[in-house]
Formats: sequence, structure tokens, C-alpha cells
Amino acid sequence: MSMIEVKNLTKEYQLGALTNIKDNALNLLKRMLGKPIEDRERFKALDSVSFNIEKGEVVGIIGSNGAGKSTLLKHLARITTPTSGSVCVNGTVAPLIEVGAGFVPDLTGRENIYLNGSIMGLSRKEIDKKIDDIIEFSELEEFIDTPIKRYSSGMSVRLGFAVATSINADILIVDEVLAVGDVAFQRKCIGRMENLINEQGRTVLIVGHNIRQLERICSRMILLNHGQIELDGSPGEVSKLFLDETTLAQSGDIQKIRGEIKSSIDTNDIEVLGVELISEKRNDGTPVCPLFSDLHLKVTLNAPNPIHNIEINIGLHNPEMVFMTKSSTSLLNRPIDLVSGNNIIDMVIDQVSLCPGTYGIGMGIYDWARRPLWTGNRLVWLVVEATSELAPKLPQGTLAYMPAHWSISDGNNKISYTKQSTSIT
Amino acid sequence: MLKLLKNLISYRELILALAWKNIAVRYKQAYMGLAWAVMKPLMLMLIFTLVKSFIGIDSGDIPYPVLVFAALMPWIFFQESASEGVGSVVANTALIKKIYFPREIFPLVAMATKLLELGISFIILAGLMVWYGMIPSASILWIPVIIAYTMLAALTISLFGAAVNVYYRDMATALPVVLSLLMYASPVIYPLTLVKQKLLVEQAAGDWSDKLYTLYMLNPLAGIIDAFQGALFRAESPDVNTLLPGMIAILILLPFSYLYFKRAEAYFADVI
Repeated sequence: MSMIEVKNLTKEYQLGALTNIKDNALNLLKRMLGKPIEDRERFKALDSVSFNIEKGEVVGIIGSNGAGKSTLLKHLARITTPTSGSVCVNGTVAPLIEVGAGFVPDLTGRENIYLNGSIMGLSRKEIDKKIDDIIEFSELEEFIDTPIKRYSSGMSVRLGFAVATSINADILIVDEVLAVGDVAFQRKCIGRMENLINEQGRTVLIVGHNIRQLERICSRMILLNHGQIELDGSPGEVSKLFLDETTLAQSGDIQKIRGEIKSSIDTNDIEVLGVELISEKRNDGTPVCPLFSDLHLKVTLNAPNPIHNIEINIGLHNPEMVFMTKSSTSLLNRPIDLVSGNNIIDMVIDQVSLCPGTYGIGMGIYDWARRPLWTGNRLVWLVVEATSELAPKLPQGTLAYMPAHWSISDGNNKISYTKQSTSIT
Repeated sequence: MLKLLKNLISYRELILALAWKNIAVRYKQAYMGLAWAVMKPLMLMLIFTLVKSFIGIDSGDIPYPVLVFAALMPWIFFQESASEGVGSVVANTALIKKIYFPREIFPLVAMATKLLELGISFIILAGLMVWYGMIPSASILWIPVIIAYTMLAALTISLFGAAVNVYYRDMATALPVVLSLLMYASPVIYPLTLVKQKLLVEQAAGDWSDKLYTLYMLNPLAGIIDAFQGALFRAESPDVNTLLPGMIAILILLPFSYLYFKRAEAYFADVI
């Protein structure tokens, strides 16, 4: 028997203003008289969603805002009921939907642990047993007898997470809670989640926007789009599709304003006329760069006056705006000057070894004192693609593949020698 | 209805925890603390005693202040359980939207909170009885039964009202007004014997007197307050004839109220 069975789950919400008594009474009257009533516009938050989740699975649910993620979790946590279809949950559920729900500001941390614990279904005795662990995990020993209203927001979130994860439910439902506290605490939270998952074999459902983090934790992912399941599969596949979709939507916007390159800083000393990739193009015009092949970039600048001793940085960033690589002219150890009029800059990145996916080009131009003259990101989008031969061999769960040399021996004689091939085409 | 009882048992810890929270939050930063709980019946008792000295209400051989305090105890318990119960679901919007447990817990918690305040009132009552040298008889053992019955009366209103209040907030605003009017239609300021005297013996409303009396007794609180006073001061067991109309009203309305609440419950999180 599956832990969770969802069949044709559909949830509709009515759009428009709250109804008043007069309208409702009129509608009731009309219905009794058999006259048609004005139906308000309906919005399908979930549209016949079906899936099963087995014991021990860790499922990430992703999708853009309004895709129906939280609505889905609300059904699993029994907070709301489906318009049609069925949701069957075999086991106890601990919803971590927004940690610290039900904290009372006037009560102390300790009192809130007891209160929140009983809201989550723990008995007093169970909480007695766990309270030391909860306090220790939240790192709030000093403040535990202070009312929560005196806490900083980070402190109460930490306490909420500590209580929520100490519950012995079969199924944990987690909504965006991994993004709590500072980096150190986040790492601790992830550690705790991984412990719940790996050692205690809990079934977990996580909703989140931090795709990379989810990819790491989950054993399966479901991508929702406008209330429907778009893809249900391995984390790698699903997150790639999702990221590609979001960037294509973004690059679609960029194509609309083509010819006008967007800058974030522009001192008008330099005009960027064009950033162009010399590469193959997809049918829709998106440039493609095969994995491990060279990338050729051509930038045209126009300077009204000559500028001496500048520095140009060009890099590739992923859709979440993390730069994967940057290259700078300052490494050339010789000054770069721009003449008045057009300047053409050619740049080649050898063996692009980024994980297949969509990347944007970012560029920054700085003067001799490293003051920015012109900077801009998302100038052009390109897709790094692995050939069908290479793709299945690539290891998952990384951001880049730096070329490596391997040699395997028994210590005396070299048995075999391989070099990661970068020339497979 | 059986499910209500089952939930009551399996969620008793949660009900207690939430009730304790309500009390802690209400009195924590108050210097007078729980003393406030008995302020309302005490003040009303003083006012009514003052009024009584002007207009003269016959309270028989029981001192009027004790009689009126004993009437105010079940009345205030009922009134506040009902009106807090009606507002309780909306007041806990944050929990409703985040976590599931049977929603009837909220009206029950409101009632449990009031139960504690009722308990404190008993201390004052005992003090008053000692002051007037009154000795209770074994019939005070009926008191818990009468209180349990009062809880059913309060639930009848609070379950239905709480569900309606999710859709129309008018409910929580209107109910206290209606209930404070109902107080005058209950034997709080005056004893029930006075009503019996006027309507049954003197037939003050002519042909309508008997019907009017039944209508008056349909209000469960009329029977409750009389039985409460009877058990405390007159060594009487509750009189079935007096209680019957109210009981029938509750027996009919409570299941309806509960079913309405359970049916509406599924949409609380969407509508609230």
C-alpha cells in the first residue's frame, strides 16, 4: 500500500469578491425556483493531479509561483478538501507548513514548545522526553524562558524548526522551511532533514524554490505547471526541465527587446552595440554550445572618446544568477585600451565544461581604478548540450565537469590509463 | 455525535494545552491575574442588589445577593462560552490555515477556558454562603450534571455560530447583543418562582399565560439557572418538568448544529 495516493485531484477556487448575504440569499431563492444562477468565474488551482508516493520516498515538488504546490500540500495535510478526486494518506502527517505556526508571542520559548508540540499531536510526556533535544538544537538555552515576542525572527524560526522536526510522524510535509536562519543553521537543518530521511526512513514531501538544494535531498521530483503535473521523475531530469523553462521564458522576454542590451550600470562612456555568440543556433534562435567544445564570443563596443587601461570581465552564470566562471583581461598583464569609435572584442572560452543547461552571459567593464563603466547580466542566453552519446555517461549532481586525467594502477605497474575525453563529438 | 466524544477524548491534551494558553495569555501580564475572572459576576451582583433595593424583587427566604450570584454563574458561563466559541474559529485563522485537527476543538477550548473561570466563581460563592450561614445539602452533587448540561446548551450555539461566523462575521458581533437581551428573558435578576407565580398562578397574560410560560421555558437557561439554585440552596433535585422544554430544544438543535459545523469545516481554510 502506498503512503500517499492522490487520484484525479482537482481544486477549484472562486474568483472575485467575497459574496454577501444578499447575493447568497438571492442565489438560494433562484436555485429553489429552478432558475439558473450566475456562476462566478472559477480558477483551477489543481487540475486532475494523480500520483502515488511509497514509504521512504523523498519527493520534491517544484513549480513557478501559482503552480499549485502549496494547494497540493494543503490537501495532503487535510487542511482543505478537494473539489473532486481523492487524496488518501496512510499514516500520520506532520505538516511543517511555515514553521512556528501557532507560536504565541506572550508565552516563553519553553511554553511554546509544549503548546506547539501538542498542536502537532505530541503528548505531554513525549514532549518532556524531547524538550532538551529541542532546546539544544535550536541553540536557545539562554532565552528559552523569555517570551517569544522578545525573540528575533531568526530565533523563533529556529525554535519552530526544532519542534517540527522532532515529531514522530510517518510523513513529513515541508513547505519552504529549509531557508531558515543563517548559513550555519541552514546547514544544520539540512543535516537534520537528511537524518530524518536516511536513518529514520521517513516519507517526506518538500516544496521549495531552491532547486539545487531540493535536487540534493530528494529521490524524486514532481514539476507542477498551472495545476497539472508536467513531469514526475528523477531530480536531475525534473529540475533541468524546470530551469530550462524558466530561462526560456526569460530569454523570450529578452528577444522581445532585442537590439537594446540592458545594463545595470552605465556611465555612458561606452556603448555596447552587440554581444554575439558564434555558434550553432536552435530553431528558435537560442545559441547552442556542445559540452566540451569551445565557445566563441564577439562583443562590439563603441567609445565616444578613447579610454585607456580598462578591464573587461566576461562570465557565464546560471539561471539563478550564480556565476559559474569568469574571465578577466586583468589576467593578461597588459593594459587594454579602447579607441574612439568601434572596438571589437573576440573571446574564446576553451572546452566549456558546464553541466548541460541554460546559461547567461554577463559582462563588466571597469576603468583603471576598477570603477565600473558598464555592467550587465543576462545579455545573451545559451544552452550547453551534451551529445546523446555523452549524456548518459555524465555523473549527476554537479555544476561543472572540469577535464580530468585518470590513471589506475596496482602501485607498481600501470595497468590502464585513461584521459577524460573531451573530444567526443 | 459519537465522533465528537471520541475526538474529545483523543484530543484532550490539545484542548487542555490550548485552554491553558488562552488563560496564560489573558492573565500573564495582568497584575490582578485570575481575579479578573470573578469581577464580572461580582460587579453584576452588586448592581443587581442595588437595583433590587429600589424595585423590590421577592427572593423568598434566600438572601438576594447569593441567589443572584448563583444565577449569574451558570449564565455568564453559558454566555461567554457561547460568544467566545462563536469567535473561536476565526480567531485561530493562523492555525486553521496551517494544520489539521478536528475544528470543533476551538469552541471546546473556549468553553474549557470558561470552565476554569466558573471554578473560581465557586470560591466566591462558597464565601458568600459562609457569610450568610447557608449549609449546602447532598443535592449539590447535581451541580456537575447541571454544568455539563449547560455546556451542551452553549455548544448548540457556538458550533453553529462559529461555522456561520467564518462566512459572515456579523455572527460574532450580533451574538453578544442577542445574548445580553436573553439574560433578561432568563431568571437571573429575578427568580423563576416569580415567573411561575405571575404566569401559572395569577395567569397574568390571560389565555396566553400557559403558552407564554412554555415559550419562556424553551430557553434552556431558565431551567438550568433554577436547577442550579435549587441544588445549592433548596436541597432539590432538578425538576424534570421545568427542564423538559429546554432539553427538547437542545436535543433537536444540537445535532443539527454539530452537523452543520462538520459540513462547513471542510471549507474553513478556503473561506476564512
